[in-house]
Amino acid sequence: MRVPSSKKITLILGAELGKLITLPLTWLTLIGTFILNLFLAAAFTSVGLQETAGTQSILNIGLASMGYLQAGFIILGILAACSEYTGGQIRTTLTTVPWRGLQLSLKHLALAIVTIPAAFIIAASGVFYTFIRMRDTATGLEIDTMLAAIAGATGYLTLTTLLSAAMGALIRRTTPALVILLGYYFVVSPLTRDLLPGLKRYLPDTAGSYMYMPLSSEEVNVLTALQGTGILMLWTLLFIIVASIFYRRRDA
Amino acid sequence: MLEINNLVKHRGTHEILSGISFKARPGRVTGFLGPNGAGKSSTLRILLGLDRATSGSALINGKPFAELHNPLATVGASLDGSGAHRKRTGRAHLRWIARAAGLPNSRVEEVLEIVGLTDAAGQKVGKYSLGMGKRLGMAAALLGDPQILVLDEPVNGLDPEGIRFIRTFLRERAESGNTVLLSSHLMGELAETVDDVVIIKHGKIVADGTLEQVIGNHSSLEEAFFALTSEKAGDTV
Repeated sequence: MRVPSSKKITLILGAELGKLITLPLTWLTLIGTFILNLFLAAAFTSVGLQETAGTQSILNIGLASMGYLQAGFIILGILAACSEYTGGQIRTTLTTVPWRGLQLSLKHLALAIVTIPAAFIIAASGVFYTFIRMRDTATGLEIDTMLAAIAGATGYLTLTTLLSAAMGALIRRTTPALVILLGYYFVVSPLTRDLLPGLKRYLPDTAGSYMYMPLSSEEVNVLTALQGTGILMLWTLLFIIVASIFYRRRDA
Repeated sequence: MLEINNLVKHRGTHEILSGISFKARPGRVTGFLGPNGAGKSSTLRILLGLDRATSGSALINGKPFAELHNPLATVGASLDGSGAHRKRTGRAHLRWIARAAGLPNSRVEEVLEIVGLTDAAGQKVGKYSLGMGKRLGMAAALLGDPQILVLDEPVNGLDPEGIRFIRTFLRERAESGNTVLLSSHLMGELAETVDDVVIIKHGKIVADGTLEQVIGNHSSLEEAFFALTSEKAGDTV
């Protein structure tokens, strides 16, 4: 295979970005997730107002919706990958850019470029809403801690989106991919947490949650944010590599 | 020049292509004919790098598709359907393709004009008729102004005006030295468009030659086709 020049790589990345932003479902998913997150933040804040406010409690409440919020990013990742298989678009993609491994990698990069600011805005909006509502009772706020948690949440949502896109590229059909991933995140993983708590450190969502979750002194065997990032990153890379191997070998 | 050399394709235990070989030459329109399931689309998909051959090769100017330096400017391809996501507009679809190949948006407007889709370019592809989807596929194939066109059933679903447009357009492309390979099951249309004919049946080539050679003693291409592809038909022409 001829290796495309850096100019070509920029062009292909531009095309992948163009595909993402001209797909109405991308915007519908992100706007829907933003609105849902604000509703959840409002609900969690109403409950939390009865407690004393500090940096940790504002973060705990502001990021309490992450478990639900990630569904929007899982959907985004799957849509980005599986939309190729609607209307036979994959044929157009591969006759325009036949370098499959490169094309799939650049699709993930384009998705990250769209996801990072969206995840930051959505995660920050929940925390900011909670802060506004609780500012009268808040004491000793630490901006650095808050920014680190929001950055961690952004990283977690971005990696989860990329992992979902890789799963979408593997399965190629939107509904089965959604069933598998939402089934894992909302049924299998919560059950595993209760039945096999030792696995918590190794699963993509539970290990990744340490990227934004404030450390709790009550918990033993916790991971640092960096360790959580590393484990989720490994899972994401693993899925992208497996998806890429299948993508390169399979008939389109 | 398109060269198919001893191409074999297995899908599971089923042999789709059993070592087929033929060429499509510059300056000529080559018609690739065969009944449904004969292996036409599989051949075109392998040629375009979409499917992998079990053995043999399908080369474009001597290279496999994935090794082309600038695929869009070398081969324009239009397979079944529009090849576009139905929620995107026709114009947005062509624009991402153009961007990937480093072509300006003005080229998108040019090909929209050529295929007569300018007025419908802002509509979502899901609202297009079958014929409009075909035209969009054709517009995508023409974006890079390629020397080679590979078209799967290009006139299927088009109205008489559309069929006439495609026929005239393909003849003009070939006459200016380009290579055109098209598959079709519409004999009447094909006979008025092609110079060379390749007929495939059950994954094997049963006829390969100029239109006159393949028609031979039969009264028409259609007669020749049915004689060659009926279950009793035998040897290669």
